[in-house]
Amino acid sequence: MIRTKKLDEKKLNFWESIYIVEIVKGLVVTMRHFFINLFFPSRIITVSYPEENLPLIGNAKLKSLHRIKLRKDGSPKCVACMMCATICPSKCIYIEADETENYVEKYPKVFNIDMSKCVMCGLCVEACPEDAISMDTGEIVGGSYDRFRNYKNGGLFLTKNELFRHLPHETISKSGAANRLANKYLEDKND
Amino acid sequence: MPKINVDGKDLIANDGESILNVCERNGIYIPRYCYHPSLSVAGNCRMCLVEIEKMPKLQTACSTIASEGMVVKTDSEKVRKARKDVLEFLLINHPLDCSICDQVGECFLQDYYFTYGLRKSRFKLENKNQKQKRREVGKYLVLDNERCILCTRCVRFSNEVTKTDELFVNSRGDRAFIDISPEKGVTNKYSLNIADICPVGAFTSKDFRFKQRVYMLQTTKSICTLCATGCKINIWHNNNTIYRITPEPNIYTNTWMCDDGRMNYKIVNSSERLTHSMINGTEYNKRQTVKQVFNKLSKAMDDKLRIAVVLSNYLSIEDNISLIYLAKNVLKTPYIFSIESNQQKIEDGILINSDKSPNSNGIKLLVKKYGIKDISEYAEYDIVIGFYEDIKNLRISLVKTILFSYKKSSYPCLIALKTYFETDGSFINWQGYLRKTAKVVNSPENTFDLHHFLMEVSHLFAVYPDFNFKGIIKDLKYKEEGQ
Repeated sequence: MIRTKKLDEKKLNFWESIYIVEIVKGLVVTMRHFFINLFFPSRIITVSYPEENLPLIGNAKLKSLHRIKLRKDGSPKCVACMMCATICPSKCIYIEADETENYVEKYPKVFNIDMSKCVMCGLCVEACPEDAISMDTGEIVGGSYDRFRNYKNGGLFLTKNELFRHLPHETISKSGAANRLANKYLEDKND
Repeated sequence: MPKINVDGKDLIANDGESILNVCERNGIYIPRYCYHPSLSVAGNCRMCLVEIEKMPKLQTACSTIASEGMVVKTDSEKVRKARKDVLEFLLINHPLDCSICDQVGECFLQDYYFTYGLRKSRFKLENKNQKQKRREVGKYLVLDNERCILCTRCVRFSNEVTKTDELFVNSRGDRAFIDISPEKGVTNKYSLNIADICPVGAFTSKDFRFKQRVYMLQTTKSICTLCATGCKINIWHNNNTIYRITPEPNIYTNTWMCDDGRMNYKIVNSSERLTHSMINGTEYNKRQTVKQVFNKLSKAMDDKLRIAVVLSNYLSIEDNISLIYLAKNVLKTPYIFSIESNQQKIEDGILINSDKSPNSNGIKLLVKKYGIKDISEYAEYDIVIGFYEDIKNLRISLVKTILFSYKKSSYPCLIALKTYFETDGSFINWQGYLRKTAKVVNSPENTFDLHHFLMEVSHLFAVYPDFNFKGIIKDLKYKEEGQ
């Protein structure tokens, strides 16, 4: 059985029931904002999205635009295991793998995300065994009419060039199974 | 015929049959790494341990012969615990490579871990033995010794099947690894089978490496058309691209497959592929080609030139029947010829046939049915119609031919054909079995199904064929599987 709960409506007092006072109260708030916006533009509290953005609060940052983390030497942590492409419910990730002479044998030759299809569910981040793809850039994708134009040119299409990047002031993480080889190689190189 | 009891079921074993085989026949699956139905029994992976009553310890099912009155338990608490422990041992030194390993999706370690293991390793990650990672072995294989679980399937394959003894186990204990005898190298013609039988990702195919995940591919059953053996194959494809070919093991023809047959799919997208019909150096699309050929043939018929039609051992039965139809009913020429094939013999005792044409037996049946002569005095005809591979061997002057081809070549009149990955066709292999290829990918736009092309030409001559291929093929005396 579905549980139901009855809520009693708040009884209105006399001044509220004749409405006029409440309407005047509301108009006062509206007019106050109107005159503030008119004479003191610096005190406006709304922003004109998507040209402007408010900083995201707390964990909302972890559901923003994708990126692929990099290793210390600048190569992508991604090994093209296709986990994200497999789990993606909207099939917006396209990867082509290739072999490198690098210490980790496999790398993504092509890595595209079609942001017009992406539903921002974050499953790719959870599936990634190398901790490579993440959605922690804090950027929000604005609207666009062109899904095949590059993201940097105002479109919705992300390629390797936009995805592979460090964040400012980022400490490079050492997690991920294939990263073991990479870290060890870099340690040996430094010694 | 000993009677044994497995998990409460009474089963009858053949004399000298192992418990694993008896269970397999009756639908009870026992996990295994080193056991392979076509190789000898090694019994070194310990994954197939089963409990047998009145035996103090667990026994390997693959090497224990079933004997009268045995009571076997394949799923008791003790067995399950043993499997879990065996898996933990096998995974001690196994690297955490799944994300870059090509075996994902067909890896026995993954499969059994999720079925029987599911335990966190009690051994530290830093203490794993590290071995050589990437070693190129021969033309087609890559060996990763870190992933190897030393089941020795590959070693037994090179000892027993190809008899080349290229691989062996070097060193002992936890330092043991698969090595290649330096003077031989892996040069046998069946090397990619090793990548197939490897239960983990130690041996992988250099050609298929990193191309696509296995679980994203579909398989279609077909046959190999590279020689008269006609091996049954699985074609792995996805999004209109073929990625690899593996054998489909069967008792009639093949368990394995040769490397050349596996690389045969490359013709579909190769740079040598003929995508347009070429007549005197210009490319024509489908409709124009039919018209051009029609003009050529009708002019030749008006001039009363002698036109010869040569049947091809490389083409399917359907295509050859249409060629015969064209010659008899449209061109009304008495000059229909077949080409004698090489002697049919398995060259190396495994699979490769000395006759490189897939359909010689089918042609022999058609020749008998329609009374067709063998070609001898070819130089006397004015126009020769045939398959380019045959004509190359006959050395006919280049001006007067109409040839069907997959590949670009220097002949003046070439009709672009679909390969047998792109169209269906029936072939009769050297044993006499009727086998069919399957269409798996779409062909380039302006290529022809040969029998469609010939029918279109005969329509232009106002001849409308009234036969179906199925009926004609049914009349041929081929063997059916199971007989």
